[in-house]
This record gives sequence, structure tokens and C-alpha cells, in this order.
Amino acid sequence: MSKPEISILLVDDDDIIRSCICAYLEDEGFSVHSAVSGEEALDIIAGINPTVCISDMRLTGMNGECFIRQAHLICPATGYLLHTGLDYPLSDELRSIGMKPDDVLQKPIYELSLITKKINAIVMAGSGV
Amino acid sequence: MPASNAANQLELHRIAVSDILDTLPSIIVRVDRQGRVNLVNRSFELFSGIQADKALGLEIATLIPQFGSKFKGMNEIIDNRTPVAFDKLPCRNGGQLSYHSLEIYPLDSDGVGMAVIRIDDISEHVRIEEIMAHTEKMSMVAGLAAGMAHEINNPLGAIMQNAQNIERRVSPDIEANLKAAEEVGVRLDLVRAYLVKRGIFEFIGHIRTAGVRASNIITNMLHFSRRGEPRIEAVTLSKMLDWTLELAASDYDMKKVYDFRNIELVREYAADLPLVNMIIPEMEQVVLNILKNSAQALAELEDERTPRITLRTHIDHSMAVIEIEDNGPGIEDAVRMRVFEPFFSTKEVGVGTGLGLSVAYAIVTKGHNGTLEVWSKPGEATCFAIKLPLQELS
Repeated sequence: MSKPEISILLVDDDDIIRSCICAYLEDEGFSVHSAVSGEEALDIIAGINPTVCISDMRLTGMNGECFIRQAHLICPATGYLLHTGLDYPLSDELRSIGMKPDDVLQKPIYELSLITKKINAIVMAGSGV
Repeated sequence: MPASNAANQLELHRIAVSDILDTLPSIIVRVDRQGRVNLVNRSFELFSGIQADKALGLEIATLIPQFGSKFKGMNEIIDNRTPVAFDKLPCRNGGQLSYHSLEIYPLDSDGVGMAVIRIDDISEHVRIEEIMAHTEKMSMVAGLAAGMAHEINNPLGAIMQNAQNIERRVSPDIEANLKAAEEVGVRLDLVRAYLVKRGIFEFIGHIRTAGVRASNIITNMLHFSRRGEPRIEAVTLSKMLDWTLELAASDYDMKKVYDFRNIELVREYAADLPLVNMIIPEMEQVVLNILKNSAQALAELEDERTPRITLRTHIDHSMAVIEIEDNGPGIEDAVRMRVFEPFFSTKEVGVGTGLGLSVAYAIVTKGHNGTLEVWSKPGEATCFAIKLPLQELS
């Protein structure tokens, strides 16, 4: 189950959620990085160039949507997932960078394996399979 | 002839005054210190059903017993020379609840001392006030619910996901677990055997189940409260009904009347029904109001039968049909004809506003171009049928 080639950047300002999802993703064999804000994530994303970046929508500072749009300019090959509490209609801007309604993770996540499924879907799509 | 002229003038005057009094929608009565009537207008006759000549000389408290207690101490009111007013007096006439304002004005006529009573039907005013208060309350609740749902989703997610992490961290399928066990010198299979024996996995399972349940409540509340811009959405009737049933199960007002969990719910949903266009929170409110009504009716059951609500869906011509049937005591025809009238309530004053079903009726007929009907077999069952057009809502 080791997938060293798949790296994940998780952005969430809720400490418990962040540590919990990080623990899960590490167990799944991903290489996991995290940030507590969009600003912090923008500082480190270039150095990681993650396969997939999962961001909370409501963050202190810039919100998830704003972060993803800027992050996409730095790491255009990264796949982005938005984690949100509301029935969030994907904005045109996020659609234009290739995000699909399926890339929105509705809170609360009942089943953590859903995250793996979404990550795998992005990896598969990226590898052209 | 001046005398006859004066009499003529007087008569014209009398007619003018009584015309004015009879034209007013207010009930107007003049009484003496003992509360005995010496003048009434047409509205009084209509309200009390008593003709003017039959009313004269009788006590007002016996003529309008609905407000009898308000006429006590007429003598003092007249002596004090200060008007007395009562607002929003409920008055039940058969099943129809109306509200009245009542004012007593002391009148100083040649020192004799009399009073003029004015009574107005202010039901329409009260109705508008209540609807406004209700709307305001709903939008406040909606705001609170949305905020709360958002705040609660994170801790709820944390509870469920951490429970899952605990399960996963003792799973033999994850290599890191085996490695950590070896490092501390325990066998993972024995750790698992212990956890099984002490029911730990079951407890963790319960945490997750409870989390899912709480989360469903939140989701339903969000559906119900998402008012703002009413959006027309296409949804299957069965889905909408299931959402509402979950909402009903967690409705506190409903629990006070009747615990919904004691009611046997039978779902007879037709398979493969098309999507129906509706404003989901509004239709949920309609169904919830009908369910509340049924629950109240079932609470009155005195025999041994199991309280039951049956929900059916099917297509009838070009209409999608929802039937909500309870096996409660049923309703008499006279009542059945009027259940959708605003303020019509068979419950005690204060228990129901008598607005629930009238609002439901307005939502179905005006908002959704549908129909809402009710039939009943007294002693056996009551069934509400909502019919919604299958074509696009404009």
C-alpha cells in the first residue's frame, strides 16, 4: 500500500479535522503535508508540488476558493478538492481550472475512504487512464 | 308650521344618526350604569342574532355572553370617566375562531351617566400579524439553523472520522499498525481479540452511527430552513417525504404533542415515479403540517389500535399524488369542509393557531398550482391528498 509518488497537501484551520484526516491519509500510504491557512499553503505549495490538494472552504484569512485559484497558478498540474459544509455550487472560476462538482467534498465526511476514492479519481484522470 | 317643522328636523336627525351607526362595521351599544342596553346598531344585531327591539332594556352581558366578563363594573367605569379597552379577545363561534377589540367609553349625558361600547372584529389584522410574526420567526430560525449546521459539521466530522481512525489503527490491513505492535511487543491479533471481547468495536460503531444520525438531522434542518430565494427543484416525492419524516421525528413541537416514534409509519411509494418540480422547503412544510395534524389526531385515540400513518405516492393523469393517511378518530363532515380556512381550529385556544393547514393549502394551490384535499371516515381514518402538476412550474 505504499504510494510514495502520491503527495497530498491538506489545508484546514480546524486542528482536530486536520490531524484526523492527515492520520488517515498517512495510513493510506500517501505522503502528507498540511497547512492551517491558504496563506501558509501558498508559501509551501511550490516546494511540494502535490498530486492533490484538499482545502477547506471556510478558512481564517483567504477562503478555500480564493486559495485554490491562486494555488492553481503556482501548481497547475495539481488536482484540487474543496471541503465544505454547505451545498456548494462550484463557481465558474473553479470550473474553468478543471474542477468538477465531484471534486467538492461535503462535510461531514462519514466515510474517510471517500477521500481516497476522490484522490484516486484525480490520479487516474491525470495519468490518462 | 314651526312645531311640525321642528319634529321633522328631529326625525331627519334621528334617521341620519341611526344611518351612520348602522353603516359602521363596528358593533355599537349604549348602556346605562347597570349595563342595560338602550341603543344598538345593525352590526350588533348581526353579531348577536338579536333584534334591536328585543335587546332594549336587557343586560349587555347576557346579550353578548362571549365578552360577558368585560362588562362588569359599568358603574365604576362611568364614574371614572376613563375609557376601558380590551385587545384581541378570542371568540369561538362553532369552529371559527375570531378576534375582537372591545372599548367602553363613558358618556356624560345630562348627568345620568351612560357608556358607549364599541366592538370590532380584528381577526384579519391579527391574522396578518401572526403570519408576519411566523414568517419572521421562520427566517430567524433559518438563519440560526444554517449557522448552527455549519458550526456543528466540523465537530461532527471530527467525531465520526476519529472513530473511524481508531478502528483503522487496530486493523491488520495497515502495515504501520503491525510494525508499531511489534515495536511495543504486543500481538495485534490479541489486541483485536481483546477489543472484540470487551465490545469496544461495538461502542465505536455506536459513535459513528450516532454521528450519522446527528448529521442527518442537520442536513434536514438545512433543507427546511433554506428559505431566502425560493428555488424550484426537481425531486422524487419519496425523497422529499423521507426528509420530512426525519424532520418530524426530530421536531420538538411535535414531541410535545405526540412522540412520533410511537407511530407506525408505512411507506407505499410507487416505483419509478418521475421527478416533480417543487420548492422543497415549502412542500416539506406542507407535509410537516399534515403530519402534525395527524399526530395530534392520533394522540386522541382512546382504543387499542396501533397509531399508524401511511404515506403513498402515485401518478394520477398528469398529476403526481401524495397521500398521507392516518388511522385516527377521523373528522366530521362539517369540520372537514373547513379545515383549510385560516384560524379554523378545533383545538383549545392557544394550542393551535389554526393557520397550519391554511398555509399548507396556500402553498399547494397558489405556489405549486396543485390541489390539496381531505377525506375522512369518522372513527377510522383521515387522508390528505396533495396533487402536484407534472409539467414545469412557471
